[in-house]
Amino acid sequence: MDARLANTWRLTLNEKNFIKTALLSEIRIDGRKPFEFRNISINFGREDGSAEVQLGQTRVMGIVTAKFVQPYRDRPNEGTLAIYPEFSPMADPSFEAGRSGESAVELGRIIDRGLRESRAVDTESLCIVAGKLVWAIRIDILILDNGGNLVDAANIAALAALMTFRRPECSLGGEDGLEVIIHPPEMRDPLPLIVHHLPIAITFGFFIDENVVVIDPILNEEAVMAGRMIATVNANGDICAIQKAGEGVSQRVIMQCLQLAITKAADITKQIKAAVEAYNSERALQKIKRETTCVGNNVKGDQNQTLDNKGISELVGKYMERLKLISVESYASQNISAEETKSLRRGTDSNCIKFNSTPLSWDPYSKCVDLEFLKASVALQGLSTASEEKEATGKEKGSEAESAGPYEDVNSKWSAVDASTTEMHVIGPKTLKDAVKPKNKRKKKASSVI
Amino acid sequence: MENKQSSSPASFVDSTVVPGDVVLDLSSMTSQTIKLGGGLRQDCDAISAMKAGTLRFSKPNKYWIESSQKRYVPCVEDTILGIVVDSKADNFLIDIKGPAMGFLPVLAFEGGTRRNIPKFEILVESSHNSILFSMRLIGLYQLEVGTLLYLRVVKANSGMNPELSCTDASGKAAEFGPLKDGYMFETSTGLSRKLLSSPTCPVLEALGKKLSFEIAVGLNGRVWVNAASPDTIVVVANAIMNSESLSGAQQIIMVDHLLKNIQ
Repeated sequence: MDARLANTWRLTLNEKNFIKTALLSEIRIDGRKPFEFRNISINFGREDGSAEVQLGQTRVMGIVTAKFVQPYRDRPNEGTLAIYPEFSPMADPSFEAGRSGESAVELGRIIDRGLRESRAVDTESLCIVAGKLVWAIRIDILILDNGGNLVDAANIAALAALMTFRRPECSLGGEDGLEVIIHPPEMRDPLPLIVHHLPIAITFGFFIDENVVVIDPILNEEAVMAGRMIATVNANGDICAIQKAGEGVSQRVIMQCLQLAITKAADITKQIKAAVEAYNSERALQKIKRETTCVGNNVKGDQNQTLDNKGISELVGKYMERLKLISVESYASQNISAEETKSLRRGTDSNCIKFNSTPLSWDPYSKCVDLEFLKASVALQGLSTASEEKEATGKEKGSEAESAGPYEDVNSKWSAVDASTTEMHVIGPKTLKDAVKPKNKRKKKASSVI
Repeated sequence: MENKQSSSPASFVDSTVVPGDVVLDLSSMTSQTIKLGGGLRQDCDAISAMKAGTLRFSKPNKYWIESSQKRYVPCVEDTILGIVVDSKADNFLIDIKGPAMGFLPVLAFEGGTRRNIPKFEILVESSHNSILFSMRLIGLYQLEVGTLLYLRVVKANSGMNPELSCTDASGKAAEFGPLKDGYMFETSTGLSRKLLSSPTCPVLEALGKKLSFEIAVGLNGRVWVNAASPDTIVVVANAIMNSESLSGAQQIIMVDHLLKNIQ
C-alpha cells in the first residue's frame, strides 16, 4: 500500500496554478500554441494490420485481427467490428493490470462509436455466407505510454491498423457451392478492408475561464482542466461523434471547436494516408521482389547460395538483403508489369537475361519450373476471377501462381483447395527442398482461421 | 567483470561498475578515513558496489557511485524537492519519488515547537484576518496538501521510510521550506546532478546570460523554476528537459535556438 502511495503521480499546487495562469496568456507548458497538435508519427509492424502511433510522449499500438463468426440475428449480412482497449500498467502508475477503469471503457466506446455509427468500415463486404458466416474484425488497442490525450492517439492507431490490415480472400466452392475456401496469401493476395472515410478524434480541454481552450492536452493539462470534449470528425466535414465531460461551455465555444476539429482532422487524415501509402508501396516492393526471383527459368550459375531459404519462408523478414537487389529487380519488374499475362512465358526469358540478380540460384524449384506448367497455371489464372489489388498487376498474378509451386507440399494439406494448385507438381532436387522451410507464418494464421 | 580483491582504487574511479564489484580494499589504506556516498557498501575490509554506474571520487576522501534513473534512492544529506501528501500526528508524509514516502517531523522547521506546528490542510480564508495571531498559534506556514517543499534527507536506510527535515544541520532554515509559485517538472537523477555541478552546467549558463530566473534543483529528479513571466519559465523548463542527452556545446546551441524563437 505504501509502495502504491509512493508511486502515484502527483501534481503540485505550483504546477496547477502555473498551468492556469500561463494559459491565460496563451502559453502552454510544452511551448505549443493552444491550437497546435503534437507531432504524430505512425509506424507499422511486420504483420499487416499493426500500427504504433506516437503523439509526443503518448504511445499507442493498434492491432487488427479477423476471424469467422456467426452474424448477429438482426444483421445477417454484415460483419462485426469490436474494439478492445488495454491500459498497460507500464503506461501510467495509476493503470492496473487486468480490467482497467472507466477511462479504458470510455476510450473503447469513443473509438467504437466513431467507427461504427459513421459506418467508416464497410461491414457488408465482410459477409461470406449471409446468415451463417461473417468476418469479425477485432481491434486491440494497447496503451504503451501515457503522455496525455490517449483517445486521439488510440483512434489514429486503430485507423492506421485498419487501413493496412489484409484479410485472406475466400470464395464459395465445393460441390454444393456452400463450402468456404480460404485462399492462402501466396495463392491470392489478401484483401484490404473497405474503409470509406477516416473518422479522426480530436480532444479539446476547457479550463475555468471560458475563453481558454486547448487542443491535444498533455498529462499535466489533463489533470488541471475542468472540462473536455472529444469530437470525432472526418475530413469531409461530417461529425461522427461527440463526447463531452466536465464543465459546461457555451454554444459559441463548441461551434468554434467543431470548426477547428474539421481543419485538424483534414491534416491528420493526410498524414495517415501518406503513412499508409508508404507502407503499402514498401509492401508491394517486397512482394514484387519475391515474385520475380521465382520467375526465371535460366539459372545463373551457383552464385550466392547464401541468399538463403529465409528469403522464402519469412516474407517480410530479411528486408535488408532485398534492399540491395530491389534496385536491380525493380527494373525487371517494370518491364514485366508492362506486358500482359499471356506473354509471361515469352517475356520471361528476355527479362531474365536482362537482370543480373543472383538469387535465382537459391530457389530450389526454379530449375524445374517448365513451360508446360507455366502455360497451365497462367491459363487457370486467367479464368479465375482475380482479386482487385491496387498494386497487383496482371504480371504479378501470373507469377503468383508459379510461386505457389514451391509450397505445394503445404497446399496438399488442405483438402478444399483450388483445383489449380494440385496441378502444380514440381519435381525438385531433394537436397535444397528439405532445407527450404515452406512453413510460413502468414499461412499458419490463415489456416487457423478456418 | 574485474573482481580483483586487491585492486587499487584509482583503477575503478570513473569507470563503470556493477553491483558486486569490490571497488576498494581497505586493508591497503589503513590510516585514512573514507567517506562513502550512495551505492557503496562496506563489508569488513572490502567496499563493494550496490548500484550499477560510474565510480566517482572527490578529494580528499569521498567515494560514491553515480547513475541516472527516473526514480530516486534516498541518500543522507541530499537536498530534494518533496510534495506534501498527508499529515499525521508526528510527521508529514512527503512524496520524494523514492520507494517509500518520506517522513517530515512536525518540529523539523526553524523555530519549530509544539505550539506552532505548520498546518498542511486545505487553506481557509480566516487566517488572512488575524495573521500575527495565526502565525504564532497555528503555524509558521500555511501549507496545503500538494505543496512543494525543499528538504534535506536526514536518515535514509533501506526498508525504512526516510526522514527529512526543513532545516540544515545546525537548525537554521537556510532556504529550506515551501516553494511559492513557479513551476516544477521532473527529470532524471543524472540530469539534476549535472545541473548542480560546478562549474555551472552549460545550459544554465547559457540561459542565465539572457534570462533572469530562480531555480531549485532536487537530487531526486525534480526541478522548480520561477521567473517574472510565464514564457520565461516555459523556455527554461523546456531547455533543461531537452538538455538531458546533449553535450555542452550542443546544449548551448539548443538554448540559442530556443531563445531565438521566442524573440
